[in-house]
Amino acid sequence: MNELFALPREWLAATGEIGRFMGTVMGDVWGGRVLHFFGESLRQAGILIVSSTLVIWALMFILGLICGTEGAYFLEANGAPAYAGVFAAWCDLREIIPYAFGYMMAAKVGTGIVAELGAMRISDEIDALEVMGIDSMTFLCATRLLAAWIVLPFLYLAGMGGAFLASYIAVVQQVGFVSSGGYLLIFWEFQNPPDFLFSLIKAMVMATAIVLVGCYYGYNAGGGPVGVGTATAKSMVLNLVLVHLIGMLGTQVFWGNNPNAPIGG
Amino acid sequence: MVRNVAERAILPARNLLEEVGDMMILTGRTISAALRPPYPYGGEFVSQFLFALRLCWFPLLLSTVALNYAAPGLQAANFLTLFGALDRLGGIFVLAAIREIGPNVTAIVLAGVAGTAITADLGARKIREELDALQVLGVDPVKNLVVPRFLALMLVTGLFDIYAILFGLFGGLLAEMVEGQPVGPFWNTLFANASTTDLWGSVLKCTIFGAIIAIVCCYKGMTASGGAEGVGRAVNQAVVVAFLAIGAFNYTFTQMLLATHPNLLVIK
Repeated sequence: MNELFALPREWLAATGEIGRFMGTVMGDVWGGRVLHFFGESLRQAGILIVSSTLVIWALMFILGLICGTEGAYFLEANGAPAYAGVFAAWCDLREIIPYAFGYMMAAKVGTGIVAELGAMRISDEIDALEVMGIDSMTFLCATRLLAAWIVLPFLYLAGMGGAFLASYIAVVQQVGFVSSGGYLLIFWEFQNPPDFLFSLIKAMVMATAIVLVGCYYGYNAGGGPVGVGTATAKSMVLNLVLVHLIGMLGTQVFWGNNPNAPIGG
Repeated sequence: MVRNVAERAILPARNLLEEVGDMMILTGRTISAALRPPYPYGGEFVSQFLFALRLCWFPLLLSTVALNYAAPGLQAANFLTLFGALDRLGGIFVLAAIREIGPNVTAIVLAGVAGTAITADLGARKIREELDALQVLGVDPVKNLVVPRFLALMLVTGLFDIYAILFGLFGGLLAEMVEGQPVGPFWNTLFANASTTDLWGSVLKCTIFGAIIAIVCCYKGMTASGGAEGVGRAVNQAVVVAFLAIGAFNYTFTQMLLATHPNLLVIK
């Protein structure tokens, strides 16, 4: 029984430390100290675009297909196949695609940061930075956070477009219970700019948390090659839980009891 | 110049195909090693099973309750409120919790938590040349390391699916209570619409997810190279490949299940 609760207890202890770490890094970015290393930020942004964009879009596209499929069959069963757009619009924009983005961010970017920073810590490169008089936390963590904030809104919105396309393909081209015009009318009618903004906020909060958790576990890795692997695995656990909790809180705060739909009163 | 571009385009594609082929070969070797006697992997199987159970129960609980409370719970309740039909929420949870979110979240959490741990473990052994030492001793790493992980992850993922469905329904009940509704109609529409096909489809899908995760994570761990950074990179790649494979398989399976079982779709 004691072993069962080892994980939750460990988290509770780590929460305080992670909070302090996050505060420091966010302070570096807000306070403008990160601008000393703006070139490094741009380099990190470039790496993010080149190495991570395609896989993140791929998972968003696949879950867009699934939203479309489920919506088409579910609304057909209700005898209202023309309204598959409602399901697809809410499933894509409000719920599942932010999660898809969070999952793939955690898998690709989060663990990537842990592996990279962990290897630097193990080979004493971080200590070398400190010896040279460079603030390692600003140089390594704050630049990555700034790079994420520069790139990810655009990456997310483009991926959302891909997911919309995927739902369209699944509902109209593949299952085919509804015509293209009938689907698109309902699909665009049941979403509006506030929905779009809320969805973006949700995804960006997830992304910030993931980058910071990745930096924390990588920066504090220890114990040789095995330690880096273990730290990578651990960061994934925390990231997954955070993604789900942020998704739930976002829904509760933004749409709690407000359908924000163009029908009813 | 032209040749350079062609090489840059073709080389990653060829590497990808080779890797997929290697994973298929590993799958075949794992299954044949699991079936052919002797069976030395009993102890390792039990310890891996308990390891996954201990690691995953808490993240999975939080994830399923949060996701089901928010996505199908609050959003669908919002939609049904417009028609004054909140009692139909139970019917939606057949689609949401049982058919999609249960198996998917189980697979995502298992890949992210147990899968990464397996890759880190095997990768560290590969880096320290323990796997080569095993082979020198005449112990087959596939039979003694991959097979127990493969079987344990399949079993634990299938069982965790039921657990995820139960806590998913709890999330739905939470949403129903937040809306101030009695829970009786929720259970009523849930059981009226639920079918055995949905349940076995869900468990079967989730079991195959477990097999995919085990093969991908074992393969990436056993082919790790390049010191400290190599193990981290192996974990990174393993979880990315596992997520994409889960998504692709889920899409195919769901399409096939829904298209071949029209009786699932009748609303009662």
